[in-house]
Amino acid sequence: MATGIQFNAVHHTYRPPRGKPVLALDGVSLEVKDREFMALLGPSGCGKSTLLYLLGGFLPVESGEISVDGKKVQGPGTDRGIVFQHFALFPWKTVRQNVLYGLEKQHVARPERARRAQAMIELVHLNGFEDSYPSQLSGGMKQRVAIARTLAVEPEILLMDEPFGALDAQTRALMHEELLAIMRRSPKTVVFVTHDVREAVYLADRVAVMSARPGRIKEIVDTRLPGGTNPEVQQSPEFAQKVEHLWQLVRDEAIKAQAQAGHG
Amino acid sequence: MIFRFLIRIFPLVLLAGLWEIAPRIGWINPEVLPPASAVASAWYGLLMSGDLVTNGVSSLINVSAGLALGIVVGMAAGVLMAWYPVVDALVSPLMKSLYPMPKSALIPVMILWFGLGAGSKIASIFMGCLLPVVLSSYNGARGVEQTLIWSALGLGASRRRVLWEVVVPGALPEIMAGIRNALAISFILLVSSEFLVGQRGLGYLISFLGDGGVYDAMFAAVLTVAAIGFFADRVYLFFMQRTLQWRE
Amino acid sequence: MSENPGYSAGEYGLMALRVGSIVAVLGAWQITAMAHVFSDFLLPPLSTVVMRLLHDLGPSSMTQLMEDLKSGNLLGLLGDIFSGELPRGIGLTLVRTFIGFVMAAAGGVAIGVAIARVPLARWFFDPLVSVGLPMPKVAFLPIFMLWFGVFDVSKVLMIAFSAVFPVIVEAWAGTQNIDKYMSWSALSLGVGPRRFLWEIALPAALPQVFTGLQVALPISLIVAIICEMQMGGQGLGGSIMTDMRFADSPGVFSGIVAIALVGMVLVKAMELVRRRLLIWHQETQAE
Repeated sequence: MATGIQFNAVHHTYRPPRGKPVLALDGVSLEVKDREFMALLGPSGCGKSTLLYLLGGFLPVESGEISVDGKKVQGPGTDRGIVFQHFALFPWKTVRQNVLYGLEKQHVARPERARRAQAMIELVHLNGFEDSYPSQLSGGMKQRVAIARTLAVEPEILLMDEPFGALDAQTRALMHEELLAIMRRSPKTVVFVTHDVREAVYLADRVAVMSARPGRIKEIVDTRLPGGTNPEVQQSPEFAQKVEHLWQLVRDEAIKAQAQAGHG
Repeated sequence: MIFRFLIRIFPLVLLAGLWEIAPRIGWINPEVLPPASAVASAWYGLLMSGDLVTNGVSSLINVSAGLALGIVVGMAAGVLMAWYPVVDALVSPLMKSLYPMPKSALIPVMILWFGLGAGSKIASIFMGCLLPVVLSSYNGARGVEQTLIWSALGLGASRRRVLWEVVVPGALPEIMAGIRNALAISFILLVSSEFLVGQRGLGYLISFLGDGGVYDAMFAAVLTVAAIGFFADRVYLFFMQRTLQWRE
Repeated sequence: MSENPGYSAGEYGLMALRVGSIVAVLGAWQITAMAHVFSDFLLPPLSTVVMRLLHDLGPSSMTQLMEDLKSGNLLGLLGDIFSGELPRGIGLTLVRTFIGFVMAAAGGVAIGVAIARVPLARWFFDPLVSVGLPMPKVAFLPIFMLWFGVFDVSKVLMIAFSAVFPVIVEAWAGTQNIDKYMSWSALSLGVGPRRFLWEIALPAALPQVFTGLQVALPISLIVAIICEMQMGGQGLGGSIMTDMRFADSPGVFSGIVAIALVGMVLVKAMELVRRRLLIWHQETQAE
């Protein structure tokens, strides 16, 4: 089923309980094609995560429109699975119980959901840890549980909010490989938020660069590379060029964002 | 701002209104719950007669003495325990075993030792306040980041100076939280001990009025104590937040 | 084969000091008492206090016990074993403590969760809790006595009234501060609003709610004893006051030891329950 995402002139105002309202997103328009891996790249505070949360239906769209496959987004749904930076696992449930959760909500029959949960756990290479609690797992393992849990309900769209930001560099590199392997097996539309330029170039088909607050789309860059998604492609000159290009776009915004953070 | 405050306390205003009306129209037996206005005028009477002030001062002196002693000894003990392992080994088993004991049970012993006067009350309050302050001082001091201590030592401070200039200030948030706890406990022990013994203090006044059947004044005295406890906490909170302004 | 180094001499020394300090205090007690540094009234010897404890623990009538033993009257036998003054007192105090505690727990959790999720409940209860929390609730004891009499009802209600506040505060905080992203994950996995409360909000709040209960139980015991001291009616608090009035200082001291032990058992029991219930919680894991 074709699933395109359309953002149309989306504005968003952040209203803190104490203090003045702040314009977070200023008229964002964007199209994400079906089965495309789109990265949202920008400095801290640019609103990229906010855009993701609006798409996910966790924040109400006050101004503008977001539609998925022609239908307006009305709230959270199992068609848009989400993976967060700090895992957001249910700490009182085991790995297996976490992965089963969405399947239970869908009223899948018991033997079937056990099978699908197990398949997901194996997909993320966590066999043997089915009965462990999240507090017993490392950061990388927790993130894999989160991914398994989200994929278990087979969403058409995968939303990822700086999913590897809390992991150390080595684990992050390994997770890149795993994510790409999973995407090869069952391609999905992915919207991936990050502030890491290299990660964006490596993983994504296209990268939308956002400006500092209030967030706008500055430029969209195609980052598909001749070497495909092999790890070696990161050593290629084409890769370095793309990274440099994107960094130049982001750099000024990053400086602006740093100044904003000081005045809060 | 004022408007928000009014909305916030409005349920209390409603309850106060209910308190006034219900006994008057017979929903509640007015002997058992005198109307708010009767209690207010009884309060005024207590104030004018001097009973409120005399007993109030007595209570405040006792609670302050017990609390102050508890804070001084508690902080010293807690910080020293955290800093010197020998002190910790000697004192902490005692602390840990005394911790779950309800300090109110010590009131009779304090009475045996210090008689029926202020001494037993102050001693009871002291005992009750001691442990929360020790515990929070201990945890606060231990919680000071090792990196801070090492930085200070590296900059040439002696161990004793580090204790005073780094550990105590670093532990202050937790110590102050423990003192807030001790404050609440001190009032509980004050009131309980004054109920049981003595010829003075607000707790005594409440019992006295209750025994004499003067219920509107009794209610007034009870609310006075409750109010003092409440405001003491609020004032302390304000003071605590000012002192700890540097905290993020 | 273990790769951990053994304890150093210094560490053994500290461990010895720990054990030693309790022994030393007890020893000092006994010696000071025997040397009559203070009168027997002020400081009865440890041995006397221990004897008194054991005496009060035992059955109140050995002859009755023997009779029931001989006649095989099991129920009577059970009653006889626990007929001593101390078991009865402990039983009474504990029953009052638990009834008050359970009321405070149920009411407190319900109110706390309601405050977090229902704006009207928050508007109504917030000022009440803010004002009530720092107040010395025992000051209201004479009012409770006026309203509910001098027997168990007023004691239990006073206990519940005192213990409910920390439970409300923790239940409120626990329910309110659930990780936003975890809630969102649950929503995107398809949970409906009704099931959300039971399946997500309450389990997530459990650690903090349980902390509130761990604070509330000792409060319940403390208030139970205060009520008993003030109102009589036997129980540990009542017996201690009676002993004090009769200048029975071994009685007072043994009563304190009994209360201390009960307090210790309750706190330990709560810790064990927490460890079992919250086995998944990261603090438990960190041990």
